[in-house]
Amino acid sequence: MAEWLNILLRSIGIFVLTLILVRLIGKRQTSRLTFFDLITGIVIGVMAAAVSLNLVKDLANGLIALAVWTVFPMLIYVLSIKYKAVRDIVQGKETVLINHGKVLEDKLLEARLTPEDLLSQLRKKNIFNFADVEFAVLEPTGEVSALLKKDKQPVTATTLGINVGQESVPQTVMLDGIIMDEPLTAMGLNRRWLHTELEKVGVAPENVFIGQVDSVGQLYLDLFDDTIQVPKPKIKELTYATMKKCQADCELYALGTKQPEAKKMYEKSSKILSEAIQELEPLLKR
Amino acid sequence: MTISAQVKQTLASLKGVQATLETFASFEENLKAKTILSRNTQRINHVIRDMEKRLSVLEFEEPQYKGF
Repeated sequence: MAEWLNILLRSIGIFVLTLILVRLIGKRQTSRLTFFDLITGIVIGVMAAAVSLNLVKDLANGLIALAVWTVFPMLIYVLSIKYKAVRDIVQGKETVLINHGKVLEDKLLEARLTPEDLLSQLRKKNIFNFADVEFAVLEPTGEVSALLKKDKQPVTATTLGINVGQESVPQTVMLDGIIMDEPLTAMGLNRRWLHTELEKVGVAPENVFIGQVDSVGQLYLDLFDDTIQVPKPKIKELTYATMKKCQADCELYALGTKQPEAKKMYEKSSKILSEAIQELEPLLKR
Repeated sequence: MTISAQVKQTLASLKGVQATLETFASFEENLKAKTILSRNTQRINHVIRDMEKRLSVLEFEEPQYKGF
């Protein structure tokens, strides 16, 4: 057999075989490779190249080596799912690099990380001042995860003590001028409702690029023609403002009236309304 | 504007608010938000009833401003 034909056949065979073997090892995300995964990948690749280039004279030898390097990682992955001890050896444990805001130098040495490496990893996470870090670990994949000190963390509604309303996912009911029936029915709406809403803002259905309905049934639109200004739905804000106005009115009437029972009624109404406003504020304002 | 006219206006606004909240409640799928909305609709309903009672008294006192 000619040399070139041999290499051609081997290459095709190894190509198909490697494809199958790699699938056998399993789907591990390439972005989260541990050092072990990397070595396995390289070894399989080099061996496949060597066999296909006829560098290994005996085909059987090459295939045996390939088989071992696929079966073993496969076995180890299966075992590591079952046993934590195996997992710790194969995938490595995370190393704590910063604890209570103090860099642990011996751990850094253990992980073979220079202080520059640590700082550059932190910078990648947008942390330029290491003093802001309360706790940082080196993940088995070589990435550094950091927890900021409480006062350096971004504010959330909880830290500010604000009560926020529940927000459900808006449904996209129109795309490219085409009405999507399925999301519409999921919201309990129909085409006629949509046409009425579009008529309210004075927009033709063909002109709508994106249309979304939020959880309380307000329609948000983006048009093909960007010169047309679509009024944003303001029903929530309007309702909130009207409630406040009504409450103020009640207080005014309570002050104005001379009848004690009417006064009492108005005061009570004002109180009820202010309670309602307080409860509805997170839903209507944010 | 007389007091009864003002009260009527407030009453109309309140009814509008109540109707809007009811619509929101019927759209809302989140159960927590839905209960908050319907509970407050009830509250406002209560206020509306009180005000209507007061309005009828006012109309009785000032029959010349009766009706809308």
